[in-house]
Amino acid sequence: MDALETPRGRHGRAPDVLRPGAWLPMREYPQNEPVDFVIVGTGAGGAPLACKLARAGFSVVAFDAGAWWRPLEDFASDEAHQAKLYWLDERLCDGDNPLKLGSNNSGKAVGGSTVHFSMVSLRFRPEWFKSRSLLGYGVDWPLDWREMWRYYREMEQALKISGPVTYPWGPKRPRYPYRQHEVNGAGLALARACDALGVDWSPTPLATLSAPRGDAPPCVYRGFCVSGCSTNAKQSALTTWIPWAVRAGAEIRDLAMVGRVETGGDGLASGVHYFREGRWQFQRARHVVVAGYAIETPRLLLNSASARHPDGLANRSGLLGRNLMVQTNNAVWGHLEEEVRWYKGPPSLALCEHWNYEDRGKDFFGGYCFMSQGPLPAAWVATQTGNHGLWGQALVDEMRHYNHQVGLKIVGETLPQERNRVTLADEHDQYGLPVARVTWSMGDNDRRLVAHALDFMGRGLDAIGARDIWSEAENTCHLGGTARMGFDADSSVVDADCRSWDVRNLWVCDGSVFPTVGGVNPSLTIQAIACRTADRIVALAARGDL
Amino acid sequence: MATPHTLRLVTLGATALMGAVAWTWQARETRAPRRRLRPDTDVLVEAARTLNRSAGLLALAVAADSALEHARGDFHNRAMYTPLATSLLSLLASGHGHRDDAAAAHRLRDGCYLAAGLTGLVGSGFHLYNVSKRPGGFGWTHLFYAAPLGAPAALVLSGLLGYYGERVRDAAGDRVPRVFGLPAGQAVALMCAAGLLGTTAEAGLLHFRGAFQNPAMYLPVTAPPVSAALLAGTALAGPHRPGLRALSRLWLRFTTLLGLAGSAFHAYGITRSHGGWSNWRQNLHAGPPLPAPPSFTGLALAGLAAHALLDEERHLTPFHARLWRRRPAWRLP
Amino acid sequence: MSLPRYPGYDVLHKRNGPSWNEPTRRAVDARLALPREPRFFDARQWALLNALCARILPQPADRPPVPLAAMVDAKVFERQGDGYRDTRLPHLQDAWTRGLAALDAEAEARHQQPFVALSAGQQDALLTAMQQGMLHHPAWGGMPPALFFSERMVHDITGAYYQHPTAWNEIGFGGPAGPRGYVRLDSDRRDPWEAAEARPGREDEAREANRRVR
Repeated sequence: MDALETPRGRHGRAPDVLRPGAWLPMREYPQNEPVDFVIVGTGAGGAPLACKLARAGFSVVAFDAGAWWRPLEDFASDEAHQAKLYWLDERLCDGDNPLKLGSNNSGKAVGGSTVHFSMVSLRFRPEWFKSRSLLGYGVDWPLDWREMWRYYREMEQALKISGPVTYPWGPKRPRYPYRQHEVNGAGLALARACDALGVDWSPTPLATLSAPRGDAPPCVYRGFCVSGCSTNAKQSALTTWIPWAVRAGAEIRDLAMVGRVETGGDGLASGVHYFREGRWQFQRARHVVVAGYAIETPRLLLNSASARHPDGLANRSGLLGRNLMVQTNNAVWGHLEEEVRWYKGPPSLALCEHWNYEDRGKDFFGGYCFMSQGPLPAAWVATQTGNHGLWGQALVDEMRHYNHQVGLKIVGETLPQERNRVTLADEHDQYGLPVARVTWSMGDNDRRLVAHALDFMGRGLDAIGARDIWSEAENTCHLGGTARMGFDADSSVVDADCRSWDVRNLWVCDGSVFPTVGGVNPSLTIQAIACRTADRIVALAARGDL
Repeated sequence: MATPHTLRLVTLGATALMGAVAWTWQARETRAPRRRLRPDTDVLVEAARTLNRSAGLLALAVAADSALEHARGDFHNRAMYTPLATSLLSLLASGHGHRDDAAAAHRLRDGCYLAAGLTGLVGSGFHLYNVSKRPGGFGWTHLFYAAPLGAPAALVLSGLLGYYGERVRDAAGDRVPRVFGLPAGQAVALMCAAGLLGTTAEAGLLHFRGAFQNPAMYLPVTAPPVSAALLAGTALAGPHRPGLRALSRLWLRFTTLLGLAGSAFHAYGITRSHGGWSNWRQNLHAGPPLPAPPSFTGLALAGLAAHALLDEERHLTPFHARLWRRRPAWRLP
Repeated sequence: MSLPRYPGYDVLHKRNGPSWNEPTRRAVDARLALPREPRFFDARQWALLNALCARILPQPADRPPVPLAAMVDAKVFERQGDGYRDTRLPHLQDAWTRGLAALDAEAEARHQQPFVALSAGQQDALLTAMQQGMLHHPAWGGMPPALFFSERMVHDITGAYYQHPTAWNEIGFGGPAGPRGYVRLDSDRRDPWEAAEARPGREDEAREANRRVR
């Protein structure tokens, strides 16, 4: 566990995570000279941006509060032990439906939550980028779907996404660079359910290799994906963008918690204060990019208030921290006669996006996909005790059906509401920083979406002969929306290039910028936006607009 | 480090090496010129023995492959032992044939080969049935990961090669050796060419599943079809194309080597799987199949045997040509 | 449908095989070597916690029990939070201290006895009332009993149980898997290093297969 005690990225070298014991040379930048870009966070937003900006010749220092793990040597096949990957610093949750965070959706590690994400790599439906104009809900994005689809393509190629030869929904897309994985018993149960319901299904496009790639082996289907991949088959930021960024000349500082963005007399950002190796330090920068995801990003910007920015940085609109969105993560569960053994393979090997692309027959706005499931025992018992309310002998008996269990679970869209937000609480964390208060309440539309999904999936499980079917009525996953991008400074925090309207050398690059969240896992979209932002920065620099 | 660059270099190097070996092999081969009226019995028997050996090699590949794959399927259906048994029979028959220089078919060998071929056919049917009852309909998911539709065909080919070998022996005494109504060389050549194409399709499907991540994976989907085309071309083009014949033999030799190199590449592929060889219980199944590539070697060797037959026919051509010239006159009313 | 059983299956047989790597061995060894004496809870709380564990997660008598109370004590002692906290709940340690005190207060109020002295039926009735939010003793101090029940008490006890190899054996979970993962992904297909489920009347077959799991 020494990766949690002593930084690994220092003395001019960085761990080569693909080879045991090996190191990569890493450039280091002095603190007192401004670097071109400081990036706070090295997950799906920060890591691709660091890589692409370094490749474009900018000096880049990226910070992460978490450790720089070597998966081959540091990762155990153990749910509890691997909690070391999660953001477990205290956060306060309230509202009508207080969120459960922790393992669910934010990581504290170099590579961010991509180190323990479930690798589901989906594209947004094109119409979602204009959901207000075309579908009548939410707000429009200032991005064009065709441009985003070009970036999706770039991301899929970069991460060697293993996906189906043909994808059943949406505009025709190019073939995925690697072939789909074998679908496990749990995934084939979804296929049978979809056959019975008369809708399409597909093997899930996943960011884990189905064939070797350089030093990374193909997936061995060990099933501990959301506890961290110990084989490097998972194409996380830790195993892709980060090493590429280091090779391109970026510096990554691990175990470095950024607590405040400093602004100068001109109101512009001048650098960041960060806690590393037992003391607060300051890194000067010409530009600061905040990429901490939808809770840490507003928390940092709110905590960076100054005389000139009394409500926090980039908050002239008052929207910073507001419109927090989650995705609903409800499920139906049941047992089958056969031994499914859903612990084998990535948890979601098959999916159905029917209700993302079909608008008829809905009494709600937005969409959802649903996927096959494979929770490991600790995650599964949390579901049984939480939503199912079981304990005692009833719980022990129900858990005994583990190897026969199947489930279908949604990633469902929720609508942006200003009352759902991230603010600073009175409590302080181990760094002395105010902890985030996360307020979330479900809206009526969100409830209707969940009801529709539970009914539909329940009929699916029923049709394949599942027994003791029950619905998990409350659960949420991915976040978004607390630093929304938009068309003007009054109704958004950043512009289409993820650049703050108020502080022009401050950028936000993560899921916080989503105006709406859609009904698919957000990681591919976050990475696509990061790469677009990098290209935009290069273009702006070329014409002197940076 | 398996960077794209090193993989390209390894592929180019291996290709060049195999090319050089094939070239040297071809250059060192000498054939005594023959001018005889009747086909040389020895040549036919020798070709038949090569066909036995080819059949044996394919049988060995099938035995190993079906043992591995059906162990993966836990032999949950008793029928899954059948290909193992019949491929071993075919292997035994082939060993027997290899030692036998009689110019006549052997009834037991015939039986073994027929059993192998039939098992292959039935196996294809079984696999198709297995795929058809999978959920989600017929699609790439099942082509990639359900029972492989093409695999049992290798057993059909083993049986066919052996069976052809027996027919060649039977034809050994004939003035114009024929197999299934075609001149022996042509018959064997066309069957081999078809087999090479079928095996290429199987390799193509599985290498597509592997996303052609290593450029070497393109070799078995390019070289064997060229071999097949050249072999079929040689067989159909008539005797007076020595350049074509030489080229065809060279490609076949390259394909022979490629089949062996394929197993080496697959062994390397297993080292690139997680845990490598120490995780053999997983990687022998999940990694690239070690026994599969030598099927190409077996077919290419059979193709070379076809060449020996074709050459023999060519040597007899001057005599036959005189017969041919006279023959129309006999047919005039 | 009778409950699936995996006679003779012990995931620890795989400890030295290719399914476990060194970090896994260290993590599970540490869990199995956990001190059995409380470091956080005092004697009265400890007795109450043990009684609670027996009700929340009853264990069969024919095998060594999973030391649930010790595992919960370790979590609370080391302040292993979840990364989020419902604002209605106090911190991990405070929540447990207050929750246990309130539960005993409820027992005294209802039965004039501490919780540990109640019959199993009385204990379950009290726990059910707690789960349904029917308890209102001032000792809760504003902490909703139902929330403490689900998000703290049951969450921590059951979470501890299902990270123990004994629980993995009970449910037939494959356990740690890496470097070696799995080959046979389809339903009703078992890798030789997975738990074999007993078919009715064919327990010996499963026992034999499980004996060979490595």
